[in-house]
Amino acid sequence: MNTAITQEELAQILDQALQEVTECTAGVRLHQGDQPPGEDLCTVHITFDKGFSTSLTLCADKALLARMARNSFHEDAVTAEDLEEFSKEYLNVLCGKVTGAMFRATKIPAHFGQPVFYHGRYEPEGQEVQFILTYSDEHREGAQLIHHVPSANSPDENTGGVI
Amino acid sequence: MSRRVMVVDDSRLVRVQLEDALKGTDYEVTAYCRSGEEAIEQYAAAAPDLVTMDIIMQGMDGLDAAEAILKDHPDARIVMVSSLAYDDTFERAKAIGARGFVDKPFHREQLLKVFGEALS
Repeated sequence: MNTAITQEELAQILDQALQEVTECTAGVRLHQGDQPPGEDLCTVHITFDKGFSTSLTLCADKALLARMARNSFHEDAVTAEDLEEFSKEYLNVLCGKVTGAMFRATKIPAHFGQPVFYHGRYEPEGQEVQFILTYSDEHREGAQLIHHVPSANSPDENTGGVI
Repeated sequence: MSRRVMVVDDSRLVRVQLEDALKGTDYEVTAYCRSGEEAIEQYAAAAPDLVTMDIIMQGMDGLDAAEAILKDHPDARIVMVSSLAYDDTFERAKAIGARGFVDKPFHREQLLKVFGEALS
């Protein structure tokens, strides 16, 4: 996010928010590591449309998101709709936490749009990866929180494609 | 007699979490709306003692919906339940007449405290 705070400070804000929201919402502890998600994954994406011209993308193993969703809904099994609903709300709450922390650090009020869910990996067009935080849990299932910024030579458009 | 709670949130997960948090208390979720527009339409019929209102939703946002409900029902007790918990949002919620603010992800104790204050 293009503010006075450093990339390291932003990464710390994102990490703290993710740890807190994951444990509180889904009862799962994630720790930073180097194991990326596998092939069977889902992506949730949120674009900041006021305050910061950036976006956050969460790519995670479907099995991890499904377990988190089961914990949250208190169900033994979840439907595809539940999985999508959980994933969107999870990133929504995470972005709210991040926005609050960013406001305290920069005094810039930000706003973000509705989360969008994809089966598979999604990479927003016109944006480039600034950094990636990689997580896994005790089941060796992984997730990545990706911070995108507008590409230097691209128009600021919030479009993209599933790959 | 239990207090009737109307939950306004586009996520069903939040309704589940609120129902879970309110188990064994005097509060009962008796109405659920997935948008601000739906909440405005259903408020009178639902006649809740308390409304929990998300902020970011499809269509009308929760602050606008709260303002519209309070315009027609000045005695409505509305608590914003949102992850957008920072000064700018707090101030607007307060100015509209919301009775409290609960930060997502919420904790049961915090929720019950704010509910109690909103109804006092």
